[in-house]
Amino acid sequence: MENRDNVKCYFDFTKVFTKTKNYIDIHNNKHEELKKRLNANHRATAELITRLYAKQLNRAVSLGKDIKTQLPGFKTFNPSLATCKGCTTRTIINHKERLKAAGFIIKEIHRGKAGIELWINPLIFDDRVKNLHPLVHEQQEQNNNNSSVDKLITSEKEGVRYEAHKQSNNCVTRTAHEQYMNTEESRISDSENQTWRKKKSSVRESESAFLLHLVLAFWSYARAALYKDLIFCEAEKNEILNNIWASIYKKFRVEGSKKDWENHQIILYKRIDMVSRWLKRNPNRWIPAPHLYFHPENTRNDFRKTHKWYVKQETLKRNIRNQILIQKIEAEWKDHVKSIYKNKAKTGLQLFRLQQQRISVYKDEALIRAFEQSLQRTVLNKFTS
Amino acid sequence: MNTANIPNSSLTKCIVYFKDGNSRTFYSFDKSHRNSKPNKALGIRRLEKMLMHRFKGMWETAIIYENFYKGAELAKYKDGVRLF
Repeated sequence: MENRDNVKCYFDFTKVFTKTKNYIDIHNNKHEELKKRLNANHRATAELITRLYAKQLNRAVSLGKDIKTQLPGFKTFNPSLATCKGCTTRTIINHKERLKAAGFIIKEIHRGKAGIELWINPLIFDDRVKNLHPLVHEQQEQNNNNSSVDKLITSEKEGVRYEAHKQSNNCVTRTAHEQYMNTEESRISDSENQTWRKKKSSVRESESAFLLHLVLAFWSYARAALYKDLIFCEAEKNEILNNIWASIYKKFRVEGSKKDWENHQIILYKRIDMVSRWLKRNPNRWIPAPHLYFHPENTRNDFRKTHKWYVKQETLKRNIRNQILIQKIEAEWKDHVKSIYKNKAKTGLQLFRLQQQRISVYKDEALIRAFEQSLQRTVLNKFTS
Repeated sequence: MNTANIPNSSLTKCIVYFKDGNSRTFYSFDKSHRNSKPNKALGIRRLEKMLMHRFKGMWETAIIYENFYKGAELAKYKDGVRLF
């Protein structure tokens, strides 16, 4: 209580809050049992009640009422407390029960439509509480089992609302808790859920940076190759990156090791090169703007179609390689028959083994089949000639 | 969306300085449909489309800002060319 002059006395909010905190701390120290202790949520309700009560008393003082001899009760409504705290009335009723058991609320009268009247422990609104200051400052949030603080690692990418963790939003109750979220089912109330999330996030933490780097690298490569002249602001860039993440990388839902992703990235670069070459070949060719070209729902002219090109190109390359190899083998057999060049000293079987070894390195069934066919041809030619 | 409420709800605005000396502010329409989440990039694209097609050749300078007090410049156009 603050005496500004002899006539009127005001309640200083800071002092009242300190007293509330001390009262609850002392109560918690005395009781070990969890059901008897006051957790941070009860504390928040107590603080809310104290604040509103102090406000009401100050108003009464300013209106000229004499409250020196006896303090009037705190007149309020359960629903109004609930909306103020951002929870249901049932929670307020439960909290009041707990606070009554702790001796914080000493009396309660229900007045039907006129609401309720609460009498708070006079220690809170009295100077005598000053003597109960602890010697060592105690942390307000200690041993709080319901707290979500430091128990969950969140990242923006996961879609967790950062606003929920902002302390500034909780200035009504002056705690780091999400009071206004209390009306709904708690997102992290389930302990199993918590551990699962923790595990998952710790595993992903190391990978997510790598995966994010892939998306960024892809976009910078594509931009340099395909959209050299265009300028994008931050919002546009973010949209494009999101589209790339969703359409090209399938939101990273496909399981794969780091090496797999690196190989995939190399293929993507090749595909971009193909597109840029395709564009250069004819000035009339065009590709849509990047937000459409990489859009996951664009099925008409999107980047994913280049996968077909890539497969076609790769098969063509392989066929040509096989043809060259077979031609070489056939030439070797011809030279062997004529006993010229380097293979003249070897027997037919030695040459065959050598060629077989050379071909098995490629691990291509089509190549082995073609090799067998070419052998048959050479053998037939040998007999006929 | 209530069209009268656009200046308050849009994410970006475009100030166009026309060749005839007039200047006018246009506010972006950031939604693809009524209940969709506002998309800033969409709003910017629409403003750009307006500049390049509807007002083609009629303006000298156009600047796209974030739609709040002292909002940053997002894009600047001069004679049909985007500068940044």
